[in-house]
Amino acid sequence: MNSSLELAIEVRDLHKTYGTVEAVRGVSFEVARGEVFCLLGPNGAGKTSVVEILEGYRIRSDGEARVLGMDPARSERALRERVGIVLQQCGVQGDLTVAELIEMYGRYYTRRRSVDELIELVDLGEKRDTRAKQLSGGQLRRLDLALALVGDPELVFLDEPTTGFDPAARRGAWSVIRSLCDLGKTIFLTTHYMDEAQSLANRVAVMNAGQIIASGTPDELGGRDSRPAEIRFRLPSRWSLGDLPDVPGERSIAGESVAVMTREPVVATQRITTWAVEHDVELGHFSVNQPTLEDIYLELTAASAGTTETSSSDEGHVNQEVSA
Amino acid sequence: MNAVLTPSLRRDLGLVVSQIRYEQRSYWRNRGRGIFTFVFPLMFLIIFATLNQGVRLHNLGGIPYDDFFVPGILAYGIIGTTYVNMAIGTAVLRDQGILKRMQGTPLPRWAYIAARIGSTVLIVAAITVVMLAVGSIFYGVHVRLSTLPGLIAILVLGTAAFTTLGIGITRFISNAEVAPVIVNLTILPLTFISAVWFPVNGIPTALADIAKAFPIRPLADGLQYAFNPHTGGAGFNGTDIRALAIWTAAGVYLMLRALRRPQGEVR
Repeated sequence: MNSSLELAIEVRDLHKTYGTVEAVRGVSFEVARGEVFCLLGPNGAGKTSVVEILEGYRIRSDGEARVLGMDPARSERALRERVGIVLQQCGVQGDLTVAELIEMYGRYYTRRRSVDELIELVDLGEKRDTRAKQLSGGQLRRLDLALALVGDPELVFLDEPTTGFDPAARRGAWSVIRSLCDLGKTIFLTTHYMDEAQSLANRVAVMNAGQIIASGTPDELGGRDSRPAEIRFRLPSRWSLGDLPDVPGERSIAGESVAVMTREPVVATQRITTWAVEHDVELGHFSVNQPTLEDIYLELTAASAGTTETSSSDEGHVNQEVSA
Repeated sequence: MNAVLTPSLRRDLGLVVSQIRYEQRSYWRNRGRGIFTFVFPLMFLIIFATLNQGVRLHNLGGIPYDDFFVPGILAYGIIGTTYVNMAIGTAVLRDQGILKRMQGTPLPRWAYIAARIGSTVLIVAAITVVMLAVGSIFYGVHVRLSTLPGLIAILVLGTAAFTTLGIGITRFISNAEVAPVIVNLTILPLTFISAVWFPVNGIPTALADIAKAFPIRPLADGLQYAFNPHTGGAGFNGTDIRALAIWTAAGVYLMLRALRRPQGEVR
């Protein structure tokens, strides 16, 4: 396999130690070109350490890392030409306007996208001549995205790119990210929003206490696709659980609210709705749901936190010590 | 020459020039910085020079006070533009994450630092012209052609020393909030024993020696020497030039130390 052609990122047994604290403890994964890869995990899990090692901001303590076939620790200009980075909470020269900043950062790259195209892409047309320090938080994040894309990168790191966005702006950012995928770009995403991972990622990995505890597509993470589905509805009080037809799975009721956990949701739904129609019963708020990515994520991280000792180490605190 | 200026180096030098323009635009748009750099020294210049108009300094051979004070306050203005602005500015850029953002781009680190230094040099030139214009128009201070070479030598070395020291000291500044404290603590006491505000002929030898060991006294003295009507020749003051050259070397060393990556981290 020619890894430099097919893989955008290759990480093997990555370790990062700050003093005596092991923030990253043997992480391995690969990201194919054109893929949207999402790293999930609670604060302090080691996500930021992994991302910053790949971005070239930190040096790994042990293990291997290749980004676009290069070693990120060497911080080569050739690599920076091909990578775009959206950092968390990263300032920008506040006295320059949006258009000036995009133009200024664009000059650093040999290949670049036009100012007008980028302003339109991130929908900052009205703020074109506004100084960066007068932008709102969401507008600044969109400017961040424009600045990360100004060199037309092959690989884009997005560290919590939509934090502070209103729902409409978030959808806007998602469509920008999807359009990047359509162009064949590789996206490395970290986020706290499970709907974001669900909506964008081809593959997710969950980190906790410095290790990857699960990975897969958003739909199959942690065996999600084989988990029982949950059917929920309101049963009018003149009926009881015993009146319902036999369905595969477990039934429970709290007040009027009925929950059926079943591995055969189609059969169960059909029996219940047929019964309801025959008896002329209106089942309010009827829904069938697979466990969400968030359900699986919370389950995974909670289970893992119980079995590891160092999970309480606060990564933010560690980072502060290092940069002091 | 063309062998040294490879296409990629030529492109990078072009980047430095364009970056200087952005640094300048950024600088002049920020009113607060302009006030510290220009309004403060100009205000002191006008207050002290007006209060002492007509006064002659008998200890210095009877030269007019303003011939002494204008170059002294120019030294203060230059230090504010170079050392103070560089130290506080770098701490702010670091705290805001702008240095980190710049580091993620292909712009070489040296090119960014060169642009910030280049931009500082332009501001030094501007403040020198403004203060000397005010001094010569309102307070009868003359820029003499004969001592101009010595004046320029001191201006160049003083700017080099205090700019590099300003970047170098950021190693000892943990965050932007303490930056003004550390910077003023290292500057203000020295200005009083360095004859920036008034002559210090009567001060104890120990204090005078301390002043001479630091770069403020050589800068102020070198400028005052060039403006002293009794100075002959090209205005070169060997002692001051030597001291500033040594401090420039120290400044470059401290700057390179400050810019070096901490162990294990790229910054």
